[in-house]
Amino acid sequence: MGNLTRAFVSERTAGCIVTGFVLALPFLLSFNPYYTSVFVSALILGAVAIAWNLLAGVCGQVSFGHAAFFGIGAYTSAVLVTKWGFSPYLGLVAGGVFGGLGSLIIGIPAFRLRGPYFALAILGFAEVMKLLALNLTWLTEGSLGIMNIAPLPPLEVGSLKIDFYASRTTNYYVVALLMFAVYLVVYFLRRSNLGLAMSAVHGDDETAAGIGVNVFRTKAIALTVSATCTGVMGAFYAHYVRFLSPDTAFDGYWSVMPIVASLFGGMSALIGPMAGALVITGLDEFVFKRFFETGHKLFFGLLLAVVIVWAPTGLLGNRVGKRSEGDKR
Amino acid sequence: MISATSVVQSLLSGMAEGVNYSLYCLGLAFVFGIVRIINLAHGEFLVLGGYIAYWLLVKWGVNPLLALPLAAAMAGVAAFVSYRVFLQRIRTSSELNTLILTFGLGIFLANLYLQLWTADIRNIGVDWMEQPLSFFGIYVSVGEILTILISLAVVFGLYFFLTRSRTGMAIRVTAIDRDAAALAGINVERVDLVAFTIGGLLAGVGGPLLGMLAHISPGAGLHITVKAFILTVLAGVGSIPGLLVAGMILGVGEALTVTFINASYRELFGFALFIAILVIRPSGLFGRRL
Repeated sequence: MGNLTRAFVSERTAGCIVTGFVLALPFLLSFNPYYTSVFVSALILGAVAIAWNLLAGVCGQVSFGHAAFFGIGAYTSAVLVTKWGFSPYLGLVAGGVFGGLGSLIIGIPAFRLRGPYFALAILGFAEVMKLLALNLTWLTEGSLGIMNIAPLPPLEVGSLKIDFYASRTTNYYVVALLMFAVYLVVYFLRRSNLGLAMSAVHGDDETAAGIGVNVFRTKAIALTVSATCTGVMGAFYAHYVRFLSPDTAFDGYWSVMPIVASLFGGMSALIGPMAGALVITGLDEFVFKRFFETGHKLFFGLLLAVVIVWAPTGLLGNRVGKRSEGDKR
Repeated sequence: MISATSVVQSLLSGMAEGVNYSLYCLGLAFVFGIVRIINLAHGEFLVLGGYIAYWLLVKWGVNPLLALPLAAAMAGVAAFVSYRVFLQRIRTSSELNTLILTFGLGIFLANLYLQLWTADIRNIGVDWMEQPLSFFGIYVSVGEILTILISLAVVFGLYFFLTRSRTGMAIRVTAIDRDAAALAGINVERVDLVAFTIGGLLAGVGGPLLGMLAHISPGAGLHITVKAFILTVLAGVGSIPGLLVAGMILGVGEALTVTFINASYRELFGFALFIAILVIRPSGLFGRRL
């Protein structure tokens, strides 16, 4: 699972290439505000995809409901900031904490079972969270949504003032920074003993348990870390877009696209999901939307199906679904 | 004030709804029980059936009930093609791969419907079917009675198909022990294909009924799939009569939630139920132990 040397390019090379590309992208787009904002979304997606892949690619647990944690993070921060006057920076932290806590609600019952139960329980969980956001109007304003969420306040470093409200490019680099932070968390987690335990669980639950891995705890940690990172990105999203409604914050997009991006980019490389997110967003923006204006997402579905059947390694990965042989049913 | 009549009314309509729920989830439960694939595109197959009926109604004024066979056939074709083109190739790989694959197919179909039929919510009700009949102050519509009868017929039809016909028995044997079935001369690959296609047919029957009783929209499929999975787990994998009981539990529970708590929390009941089964009895009410 973790054998990076057999990959097409090594994790480190791939990481450098993707990093360089991300840093250079605003220049390539000549700071066009529209395209910059498209790729801000791509980076948010990329960070969520990296977090998703910690759970799926490293620990072998597929989630169909990361929108739940994204939305929880977004709403936590938006509510704290607009109703109780918290600083948006604190909101980012709180978004992560609540995203992580939310994941325990579903993880604890669902991880007691094997295989597909978790994947499906979390799908239902995301629906329920959206429903709660719609109905707990005293907290979330229901379907009206929360408007005028404060942007991240300007940072002053020496004489340099970084204003997030005025410039999309600043936002772009902040989200790039968050994305690298998520990447580093996942990178070092995977190299730790816990990461080895996750790989073992990915390989086979029972064997892992046999060599002394606490399977339940390992899965729960992978999920919590993944959900925390997703929650932080959700919180950033709230302050970037400055408007939240249950339909946007808990949009199925945030569940579906990390899967598409990860599979497309390659699940066995930690940076793969990020590369996938960039390529997919580019394809969507420049190709798919030209063909089908309303139903352009059908390409994502098709891409998922085609990639998993004919190109399971993705762009940067070596192998997905190692559990194929001898997988118990 | 909540009167006794309104409680009885909500109990009865919950049971009626529940019988239909068991039809909506029949295809998913059947495929899961036999082929061991959780078909996340199940809801989209069902919605396809609904749109076929909608088309027939709008273009040629065909009664949705008469559209049932064609709706089922089209969903069956969709399932057949999905299996032949995609699923067959990764049938032997991990369960999660088939899950992701069918999820992708579902997204594809949902957005295709969006492109073809726009995001509008469609109801395919027919006037005479919405006539209410009154028994001692309890109201039922003609359509509700008809759909219950159809649902029951399909559920029991499938049950007898599986227990009486040769193909049905071959399917059951394959589900119990694949290797033994292959040794006995059953073409297990074919059984998978047939079972998956039947799953599609069953889903297709549900579509027009859903369209008549409620409404269909391109995004409705995932919702149905989640509900179907909850019911499958509640009933216990592989138990078809159990689905009727599970469907009624869900239907009645939702109806009571609407009567006593709040209509907007109705969907929460199913999820609470799901968590409760996962914790208390993961093998479901009538299933074998996992």
